[in-house]
Amino acid sequence: MTKYIIQRLLLMIMTVIIITCICFVLIRMLPPAELPLNDIHTKVIEARREAQGYNKPYMVQFGIFLKNVFTRFDWGVSDKLYFGQDVATIFLSKLPATVFVNLYSILLSIPLGIGFGIVAALKRNTWVDYTISTLTMVVISTPSFVFAFLIQYFLSYKLGLFPFLMNAGTDYMSWGMFVSMLPVILSLSFSVIANFTRTTRAELCEVLTSEFMLLARTKGLTKAQATVRHAFRNCMVVVVPAILGEFIGIMSGSLVIEKIFAVPGVGGLYLNSITARDYPLFLMVSCFYTIVGLLAGIVIDISYGFIDPRIRMGSKK
Amino acid sequence: MKKLSTVLLVLCLCLSVFAQAASEAAPAAKSAAPAAEAPAAPVVEAKPTVVEFKGDYVFKDSVSTMAANWNPHTYETSDDAYPVDSAYIRLGLYNIIFNDEIHPVEGKDPFKGYVVIPEMAAALPVDVTEEVKASHPEYNIPADAKASYAYKIDLNPKAVWENGVAINADTYVYSMEKLLDSKLLNYRATDYYAQEFAIAGAEGFANSGRTIKKTNSLDGENCDYQIADLVKGADGSYATKEGYKAYFGLTDANYGWMSGNTLTSYAKYFPEGVLAALQAMADEKGYVPVTDESLATLFKFTNSDNWGNETWEQLAFYLSYDFTYPTVDFSTVGIYKTGEYQIVLVLAKPLAGFNLLYSLTSNWIVYKDLYEACLKESNGVWTSTYNTSVETTLSFGPYKLVEFQADKFMKFVRNESWYGYTDGQHIYVDPTDGKTYPMYQTTSIECQVVAESSTRKLMFLKGELMQYGLQADDFATYRNSDYCYATPAETIYFLILNGYADAINQREGAADFDKAKVDLQCLLIPEFRKAVAVTYDKELFASTVSPARSGGYGIIGIAYVYDPETGSLYRDTPQAKQVLCDFYSVNVADYASLDDAVASITGFDPVAAKALFIEAFAKALEAGYVTDADNDGKSDQTVTITYSMSSDSDFMTRTIDYLNEKMAEVTAGTPFEGRIKFVKSAPLGNAWSTNIKNGMTDTVLGGWSGSALNPFGLTDLYVNPSYQYDAKWFDATKVILTKTINGEEITMNLRQWSDALNSKDVVINDKTYNFGDGIADIETRLEILAAIEGKVLTTYNYIPMLQNAGMSLLSQQVYWVIEEYNPVMIRGGIPYLKYNYDEAGWKSYVATNGGELKY
Repeated sequence: MTKYIIQRLLLMIMTVIIITCICFVLIRMLPPAELPLNDIHTKVIEARREAQGYNKPYMVQFGIFLKNVFTRFDWGVSDKLYFGQDVATIFLSKLPATVFVNLYSILLSIPLGIGFGIVAALKRNTWVDYTISTLTMVVISTPSFVFAFLIQYFLSYKLGLFPFLMNAGTDYMSWGMFVSMLPVILSLSFSVIANFTRTTRAELCEVLTSEFMLLARTKGLTKAQATVRHAFRNCMVVVVPAILGEFIGIMSGSLVIEKIFAVPGVGGLYLNSITARDYPLFLMVSCFYTIVGLLAGIVIDISYGFIDPRIRMGSKK
Repeated sequence: MKKLSTVLLVLCLCLSVFAQAASEAAPAAKSAAPAAEAPAAPVVEAKPTVVEFKGDYVFKDSVSTMAANWNPHTYETSDDAYPVDSAYIRLGLYNIIFNDEIHPVEGKDPFKGYVVIPEMAAALPVDVTEEVKASHPEYNIPADAKASYAYKIDLNPKAVWENGVAINADTYVYSMEKLLDSKLLNYRATDYYAQEFAIAGAEGFANSGRTIKKTNSLDGENCDYQIADLVKGADGSYATKEGYKAYFGLTDANYGWMSGNTLTSYAKYFPEGVLAALQAMADEKGYVPVTDESLATLFKFTNSDNWGNETWEQLAFYLSYDFTYPTVDFSTVGIYKTGEYQIVLVLAKPLAGFNLLYSLTSNWIVYKDLYEACLKESNGVWTSTYNTSVETTLSFGPYKLVEFQADKFMKFVRNESWYGYTDGQHIYVDPTDGKTYPMYQTTSIECQVVAESSTRKLMFLKGELMQYGLQADDFATYRNSDYCYATPAETIYFLILNGYADAINQREGAADFDKAKVDLQCLLIPEFRKAVAVTYDKELFASTVSPARSGGYGIIGIAYVYDPETGSLYRDTPQAKQVLCDFYSVNVADYASLDDAVASITGFDPVAAKALFIEAFAKALEAGYVTDADNDGKSDQTVTITYSMSSDSDFMTRTIDYLNEKMAEVTAGTPFEGRIKFVKSAPLGNAWSTNIKNGMTDTVLGGWSGSALNPFGLTDLYVNPSYQYDAKWFDATKVILTKTINGEEITMNLRQWSDALNSKDVVINDKTYNFGDGIADIETRLEILAAIEGKVLTTYNYIPMLQNAGMSLLSQQVYWVIEEYNPVMIRGGIPYLKYNYDEAGWKSYVATNGGELKY
């Protein structure tokens, strides 16, 4: 297993460098943001681009970028969206808001999603199952911003239960902040709950009809015992990686939901950096997500072995 | 004793009557003095009793995009200007406020005009041109200049930073040095040398030692160098006589007269192999050194038929050359200290009066220690974090920044160090109750990012925001609300109508173009264009597609002030009214007055439109543009007018639907019945503009907005190919206009009239004409402006449709001191905002209304 992990980590480093290089070259191959014709500031913008080395060959620019990152951990300063500010600082200052709302959302979604899935599977082909399955499909087919607007209108405007927007500040653990996050958390949770419900129900239904479940019952286990000890654990082989997959999404945030509730997170950062051709910011965010995504892949693969000991990673047997 | 008491009483009575009379006379005398000095009225002789406000007054604002960098040297966008424009953390040397009894303007009722007051300055600038010209020849003030080049400005000694540190002459000089520092490459540096307000030596210092590619011709008429002037160097490349190396710019888009096109844009006209040969010689930026080889290659083009009738010397218009600014120090820049609180500003171009004061309403000063701590250098590139957070911001205005979270929230509170709260200048007499109030009743400003308009609306109705800009769906509900305010904007949106014959013919010649069913060439027929122009009722169009806006009739909007001293609007002048009457064929004699005649204009004349369409059809048949094979009297082809769409939207759909619907109504019974159709192009993004300029699409709602205080500057947009949408099919140098000015009949082309109107010397028959600001009288300038407007309108390249405006609701918590719109002051902003409720009272008021307010 150790050897396997080391192999995967080395592969990951190579992948990160290749992806970074591709991103670096591709973003700079985009035509530079158009300079306003006859604007008096055009000359200054051109001079600054020249000084920043944007007219040098791409690989020379990439070399300078790598040198700065590896020798000084300097990811550069934003030259458009947050002029003059360190891009790593900007990104890290915005990450907590995204992480907290998504974390709360997943913590709410896991028990509810799995719970509804179990109930639907145990009550398969009854009105309970039909109701849960239908609602699940409706929720999955509805974009999350629809829930956001409904929550904002009914819970914030009509009932006055929550503020319209997430509170300003960084005290994410405070009660006031948590309450202000609830509309965001709810908007994000609906589709996650529905996904977990659907996955859990499908897996559980399949496991419950397996022969080993019949064997467990004939050995004298009650239905509850057989379900919890055997069926549920087996269905977790699929559900747990799905949960881990959702955790990866924590980092990337939701562009639309963050915008509606004014969450000062990273949701729009990536897209905005591309639109504004803010190269340093784009590169920093790209590298971050590449590393997080690759690490998450490794964690998910390893997790299989812990959930189901029959699965052996890297084994050639 | 009784008699004595009576005498004493009578004496007391007399004294009190005299005292009363004296106290009444005083304000009248006081108000008369400064009025004579309009527009500036800084004199306040006695302290009036000023009402004191108690309580918390929070202005709750929202923006779509939060400011990220409000450094006066580097900020770029209007979003970034929020802390200055809306929260007043900085003030200029001068400020513009409403006129009232304390700051009167002769001939203007209170709050109907405005005055300029010294703000960070202590007094109005004093012209010291003669003095500086003699003592500082390094600033190159022209020998014949007597005024308007140099000003001595006394600074306000009470002005301090929010931490109490004094702002003095050193602050101004140091800040200007940093602003123009060539190594910092500050975005705002050009604001101080590339506009009307240009500080002497600023350009040289800001570019000190830098080599740039300079464009040989900016206007397509004049060249810095001719090709014959170039000198061949030892390496075989040609340079100017000063030694600046010359190039042909293959991809240089700075040739302003080419409307953004480059030499490569014309590659299709090059003989085979020419482009490839040039590209092989070009450097990585597309510059081809001028050598015998590159000239020989280009001669293949100039010798071909595609070069037309022009001579090869015209290649000079495609030249650029390396230009190196001499290395100079800051002493060459026209700003220096003459006292602890006194500076002298020397200008590169003359500027005086309101325009000078207006240019000084913004400020460039920075806090030295903090500024230097925020500077960072990496690989030779300097950046600064100054004014990007609470820690890096120091205010010297009425408010200071106390909270900031990027992309989320910012809060400003009163800056108690600001002199204006106690100097007796920042007060006004309320026109309603006659009492004297301090400006800036607001105690704090909270601004948060609210991206969605639906959220803004809900928050506004809950009393959580002060203003809500109406969206299209809201107009029916709120446009008649007592709390609804309309604010005109500068822009006129016109339908640009394609008239580029080459492009239209090329499109019709395409293999997939079905000439049997579709036609584009009718767009080239003048009668057809005129018919389109009178097909639409402008007010109806506005109310259908964009209710906040109104109908647009001229190419210059209703918000332009031609005389900043008085605030008079161009559109209100007889010249501007007459030009509209002429264009829309309204006979003024048929009306009681010119105003009535103008008021009758709708832009809609279905009878004339039908007649013009019939006439156009006859011409189109004759020219072979359309056919009528079945002799039914109708065109066999549909004239398909492609709208140059950047991206699709409800607005686009409404616009196209309206254009088609009304066109169908007007063309009913004509040969074009059902045969004219507006269609959307594919979403073109930013390319919508180049498509319309190149005639690849046929129409678009476009517009220009210029400085609200200078309508004269707009003319350049319609006659200068650098800006013109119609540059490919309208040459302003070929349109002749004759005007009688001061008894002299002057004939010039449209471009020349525009140049002369905008302070350029135009030489006609060895006589120089210049009708610029301060040179020609205002009536003459208005005559010329109106004449140019009339000429541009009659090209039918621009069909005015919409006058831009915005409508918003104002919270019941507050009200404007004056509700009437003022083109310069709008409604006064935060300084003139008054509160009906403080915060506690407002919460209670909202609660008693069930938490949901009605507007």
